Amino acid sequence: MQSRRHAPEAEETGIDLAPMLDFTTNLLIFFIITTSFIKEAGVEVFKPTAETAFGRDSGNLLVAIRENGDIWMDRRRIEMRDVRPMMERLHIERPDDSVVIIADKASNAGVVAEVMDEVRLAGITIISIAADPAG
Amino acid sequence: MRKRRRNSGADQEQTGIDLAPMLDFVTNLLIFFIITAVFVKEAGLEVQRPTSFETPPDENDAQSIQIQILENGEIWVDNRAVDVRAVRANVERMSAVNPDSGVLIIAQSQAPTGTLVDVVDQVHLGGITNITFSTTQ
Repeated sequence: MQSRRHAPEAEETGIDLAPMLDFTTNLLIFFIITTSFIKEAGVEVFKPTAETAFGRDSGNLLVAIRENGDIWMDRRRIEMRDVRPMMERLHIERPDDSVVIIADKASNAGVVAEVMDEVRLAGITIISIAADPAG
Repeated sequence: MRKRRRNSGADQEQTGIDLAPMLDFVTNLLIFFIITAVFVKEAGLEVQRPTSFETPPDENDAQSIQIQILENGEIWVDNRAVDVRAVRANVERMSAVNPDSGVLIIAQSQAPTGTLVDVVDQVHLGGITNITFSTTQ
């Protein structure tokens, strides 16, 4: 070993990893900042459109209501009575959550109102109804 | 023990930190965050609900502008059926008379949500954000 240490430059083969590390760390920071761990509803619905819809950064619990009244949350169909316990559990994990109800255009307003009540009873007060921004 | 050497030519003991393990670690974190990243952003409208079942909104409250939505999608303001596009004008007119008034939307429980959102949108366009939403059977 001692003899290699004083070898000429041709012997040196290590790549300098520092720039790659810088680059990777930047990517890492970007993804840490942008990640938000949204609980997706897991179902596709036809959302109504609204001109005054606005995006809310912290809206990360999504509840979908389908045309036939099915409620979807966290990629599975749940019953109305399950909404409140699930919301309570998630609310304890991250207390600054807000809920977005993604209701189908043709779904009943009564179901939406019931879900809103359950969410409110679970302690989450920031509730909005999803709409696509239009024109 | 593997020893990584930097640029040769330095006779002195070259002691650079080995960055490879750190790079491994950072890359693993990076992959985790790439996989878990979800770029979903839902836009929505905010509506209030009466806070408890015991105190439903006073439907005879003269201060608030009432809009009713029937189950067939008809919209009633001031005891008249109006078109969705006329809601904004009605709200503007009534809020000009009574600037502090909020809007109370009373929807039948079978009413379509699309109509509800349309009405909320029109009321927002009419300049009122204090919207309360309740349902009747």
